Amino acid sequence: MLSDDRSGRFNDGKSAASRKVRLWSLADGVEIRGEDGFLIAVWKTADLVDDGELPGGKGLRMRCKAEPDARLTVEAAVFVRPVAKRGTFHWRIPAAMALGVAVLVGLYLALPNLARQIALVVPLETERGWGNQIAAGFERQMRACRTPEGNEALTRLVERLAAGLPPERRAVNLRVLDNAAVNAIALPGAEIIVFRGLLDQAGDPDELAGVLAHELTHVGERHPAANLIRGIGVGVLATMITGDASGMVASGAATVMAAAYTRDDEAAADRGALRLLKQAGIGSAGFATFFRRLEVLEGGKGLLPAWLSTHPETASRAAAIDAAADPRKLPPSLRDAEWRAVKSICGKAV
Amino acid sequence: MQSRIQASRPFRHHGGTGAMIAVALVNLALSIATLSIWRFWGRTKVRRLLWSGVTAWDDPVEYTGTGGELFKGFLVALVVIYLPLLGLYTWAQALVVSGDPLGTILLSVLYPLTVFLIAAGAYRARRYQLSRTLWRGIRGGQTGSAWGYALRSMAVWLLLPLTLGWVWPWGEMWLARYRLDNTCFGDRRFCCDAGVAGLYGRFAVAWLCIMAYVGLVSLLFVQTFLDSMQTGELDEAAAPMIPVMLLGAVIVMTLPWAWYRAGFYRAMAGGTTFEGARFSAQVTTWTLIRLSIGNGLISLFSLGVLRPWVALRIFRFACGVLAVDGVPDFAGIRQGWDKGPKTGEGMVSVLDGVGEF
Repeated sequence: MLSDDRSGRFNDGKSAASRKVRLWSLADGVEIRGEDGFLIAVWKTADLVDDGELPGGKGLRMRCKAEPDARLTVEAAVFVRPVAKRGTFHWRIPAAMALGVAVLVGLYLALPNLARQIALVVPLETERGWGNQIAAGFERQMRACRTPEGNEALTRLVERLAAGLPPERRAVNLRVLDNAAVNAIALPGAEIIVFRGLLDQAGDPDELAGVLAHELTHVGERHPAANLIRGIGVGVLATMITGDASGMVASGAATVMAAAYTRDDEAAADRGALRLLKQAGIGSAGFATFFRRLEVLEGGKGLLPAWLSTHPETASRAAAIDAAADPRKLPPSLRDAEWRAVKSICGKAV
Repeated sequence: MQSRIQASRPFRHHGGTGAMIAVALVNLALSIATLSIWRFWGRTKVRRLLWSGVTAWDDPVEYTGTGGELFKGFLVALVVIYLPLLGLYTWAQALVVSGDPLGTILLSVLYPLTVFLIAAGAYRARRYQLSRTLWRGIRGGQTGSAWGYALRSMAVWLLLPLTLGWVWPWGEMWLARYRLDNTCFGDRRFCCDAGVAGLYGRFAVAWLCIMAYVGLVSLLFVQTFLDSMQTGELDEAAAPMIPVMLLGAVIVMTLPWAWYRAGFYRAMAGGTTFEGARFSAQVTTWTLIRLSIGNGLISLFSLGVLRPWVALRIFRFACGVLAVDGVPDFAGIRQGWDKGPKTGEGMVSVLDGVGEF
């Protein structure tokens, strides 16, 4: 409450005029009168809101809840009794924020499962469409390698391994592309791409069979489609969190998170590969040998620590395969002539 | 013009730098703790401080927006604009990957559409901010159409390369006039009839300086490249050239450009009237350079964290240079009926994450 009769400025909230006023204290409020003594308004103490000091410290500002647009500036006044402070603490803001954070964290944790569930309901035809598009993109950048003998041998090997997959996933399309990368990738919709570098490095057909069994497990468990959906999900989530829609944060987050998420998929594919090899009657020793070979190529250590790279460390993967190895002595997965045809599918002599 | 009636400087900024930096640092901490969800409330706190530091004719300006409004606006834009746009972009990318020409066509529509939406969003954001700006209890406001403004912006951007940049002074002023003509206080509008007649001389000097500098630098680069092709190694003497060239860029390009900008602001303010009072801005080239370089350094070295300080410097600068010839008839200005949008700035906050402070 105001101490005594004071002068001030009044804005009625209807026009931008500023009136000089005199203020009179009442028992339960303040009376605002014009300089001519004419009564303008009576503001009840219970409705008064302290609007703080005038910038520069030349008076106090006040409002009245009953007339939200009106403003009062009291010159050289002090409050002798506290009036309601503006900006009292609201629990709703931190509550809303905690809820928001909880939703984001929940979405982040649920994302891998969510993506998997969505991938399961995507029709096979749609998924094949995605895979074809991506594979076509690769084929425009790299030469596709094809020879009748080589493709026949590869198809036979893939069909033998794919027999362990769910029936609708068995029709796998395999392409060999002329590129030095020692890699093979599974695409959505039962597409597998093998790069020439992998065929060059593989020492015997069982090594190739191991890699193919690994990629076929990805196909059987629909990992590529789930990855695609998850990548988009991570991007959307990153945008929701940071508000950056330029895609920079989103793609960076997608890359880092893809690495973290896919390690589980890779371990699952290694386990599944062992099962497929066993069902096809192919030994798993070649699979382990291939990882040892990769380790040598990588120079003993991967460039990236395991938690960042998409694949678990090759040495530990080889050890895991060895631990589950089939002790039986089995014939090689391809005959010599077939293996030669596969090795020279890109036109290079063995 | 100033001598007819006495020009006054009714605007003053009382905000302290320390308080603003403190708010910026607290906002940073809270943004980290809340996975950046705090940013809407943080932005609001900064604006409260910026707005309430300004007095006009000794009465303070108020900002009445809330963080909740910004947050809701963001969520709406996320669902209505961002997610559909993301879907379209993903689809277009997939088509491009498969070599379908439709993908390229779709992308060539989506890019301008995104720019268009950002321009429209910026205009809507301005409407929100003005509707939350009060003085003597009377709200500001903005009329006009966000789509109309976005179309005009697109036209200027399209003409820019076609005219080798020469459309810029006219285009920039055209857009500024649209914004100012649609700016209201209470039930009255501002009026801007600023022309660009006196600006093209300054623009020509800036344009020639920039062209000459870019030409010279590219010539030097080509020369160095050719030399290194002949000798097979990079000339060691070329390395110290880089800081010299950067310094050259500051002197040769920034100075004439600031001269043009100063002229632009003076013309824009000088062409603006409100209820019989005419504005003017005593912007000089040197003060503008000092403001921009200072702001650039603050943003750069604080990695954007101290952008509220940058905003404070701009507010202070504007309050310091703006003068008004005559006093508007405030008693004749009534409260406007338009209370402004219920939520704020969604489109810009989601499409252009950098945004304002």
